[in-house]
Amino acid sequence: MVGLSHYLVVSAALFSLGMLGVLTRRNAVNVLMGVELILNSANINLVAFSRFGAGNLNGQLFAVFVIVIAAAEVAVALAIVLTLYRLRRTPNLDEADILKG
Amino acid sequence: MEEVVRSLGLFMPEIVVTAALLLVVLIDAGGAPWRNAAARLVTLAGLSLALGLAFGLQGRSASLFSGMLALDPLAVFFKVILIAASLLTVLLFTFRNSRELHGLGHGEFYALLLAVTLSNLLLAASNDVVMLYLALEMVSITSYVMVAYMKGDRMSNEASLKYLLFGAVSTGGMLYGLSLLYGMTGATGLPEIREFLATGLPEENRFGIYLVTFLVTAGFGFKVAAVPFHFWCPDVYQGAPTPVTAFLSVAPKAAGFAIMLRFFFAGFATPGTGPWDLTGTIDWPALLMTVSVLTMTLGNVAALTQTNMKRLLAYSSIAHAGYIMMGVVALSENGARGLMVYLAAYLFMNLGAFLVVTLVHLEDGTFDLRDYPGLYRRAPVLAVAMAVFLLSLVGIPPFVGFMGKLYVFAAVVEQGPQYYWYAVAGAVNAAIAAFYYFKILKTIVVDPGNEDKPAFRLAAVDQAWVVVLAALNVLPLLFWNVVEGWTHSSLTLLAGR
Repeated sequence: MVGLSHYLVVSAALFSLGMLGVLTRRNAVNVLMGVELILNSANINLVAFSRFGAGNLNGQLFAVFVIVIAAAEVAVALAIVLTLYRLRRTPNLDEADILKG
Repeated sequence: MEEVVRSLGLFMPEIVVTAALLLVVLIDAGGAPWRNAAARLVTLAGLSLALGLAFGLQGRSASLFSGMLALDPLAVFFKVILIAASLLTVLLFTFRNSRELHGLGHGEFYALLLAVTLSNLLLAASNDVVMLYLALEMVSITSYVMVAYMKGDRMSNEASLKYLLFGAVSTGGMLYGLSLLYGMTGATGLPEIREFLATGLPEENRFGIYLVTFLVTAGFGFKVAAVPFHFWCPDVYQGAPTPVTAFLSVAPKAAGFAIMLRFFFAGFATPGTGPWDLTGTIDWPALLMTVSVLTMTLGNVAALTQTNMKRLLAYSSIAHAGYIMMGVVALSENGARGLMVYLAAYLFMNLGAFLVVTLVHLEDGTFDLRDYPGLYRRAPVLAVAMAVFLLSLVGIPPFVGFMGKLYVFAAVVEQGPQYYWYAVAGAVNAAIAAFYYFKILKTIVVDPGNEDKPAFRLAAVDQAWVVVLAALNVLPLLFWNVVEGWTHSSLTLLAGR
């Protein structure tokens, strides 16, 4: 029988993987994939809590909004990464290093 | 349906801002030769009208859209502050006096500014974690675009990218925290969450609630640029066009503090008579106190060695976030009030400082402090006004910055002896800050250099605005009973749903 704790374990694993991806990847597109994993791990939490514990649909509603936000965020992010590529001919984040101090 | 109609009546400032936003987009898309002037005019008209409507909502208390938004005196206060911040930004910074914006599209800029304003208004009034997250992301995503406004500029692009990645991770973490909070309490509305927490928490949930507090603090900390979530701040402030920097340093910060206050006070604490009682046994003031002390110390120490004015003001704004947070930590009505006074004062002093920086860049094309000597001779009005802004930032009477510091420090000290070291840390930091603010002043007035450069050719309107802002740093003290009364009557949080 699959219960709440199974979902929570999966979501915690996804969150950790996403965080790992964000922290270790050089390529901006890969980092964005990590961000998506983080957002989706929260979605799993929300839907699982809504189904198993809370007794209301707020969580599922929240998850729908999160999906919309994730799409909007990625649209803006890709536009900025595209500009980065146009200006420097590289998608690598560690080569964007003119601002420091 | 009745609920929606009733809510719409109390939602007028936001509706007006939305209408202005759509109108600006349409005007810009129309491509008429007068579109630039019209976009600015519509923005100014929309914001002024919204400001008037927000004033008209004073004293109202209601829950809007099935508990998604709260309309209470605190929300109205922040609505006024946030709309005023946008209005001042549009009035002070134009495409003429900001060299960085020359040749860029006008309509998009005003549309983005209105979008940030709208999301700020929603964020400050959120009474439900769904609304809170949506508004926070809306502020962030529109700010990323504003920072990247100079499309062909590598610094602007890099700043925006750093802002975006940092923001995506912090708000992603915050969302995970909010999902856990929903799981533990079974509710998304802040009043219900408080009710649930007030009944006591099972022992096995103790770790969970600490995790939630930490993750949510990460999201808020990112928004207000608090250590250790401040890394984006200096780069973004340096890379973004100066008008955007000025706007981001006041408006989203104010909205961030508004929601921080609301989340912790309305969700995690019970308003009583006098100081708020903590709900359950969550020791979040200790966490925030540590964050606050680290924030002001790091901001001030890092600012000491900066020579780029935008970067210096970025570190100074990090330090100010630390002082402002004292108001949240005090967990009392006076603390909330100190936060409000400080944010209102910060609006005038910081926008003023950035306006002077913009005007110097317009004339000389430099942001470097080492090019500032001789300013006193070349532009006396700018130099005197800058002195006022800097002294206000230091927190010296008779300027509004002093009142802000006075209120937050007093609120912390009255909490008892265990808070004394915190006030001392704040005072030591204020002394460190005075060092670099006075260094700027010394460079402008005393240091030799630039003898051969001609006097500034300032437009009359720019000079007038500099003088008006300098006056706004002093005049409120003459009418302090008005400010006192207004902040006092704005201390009511909506408790029910």
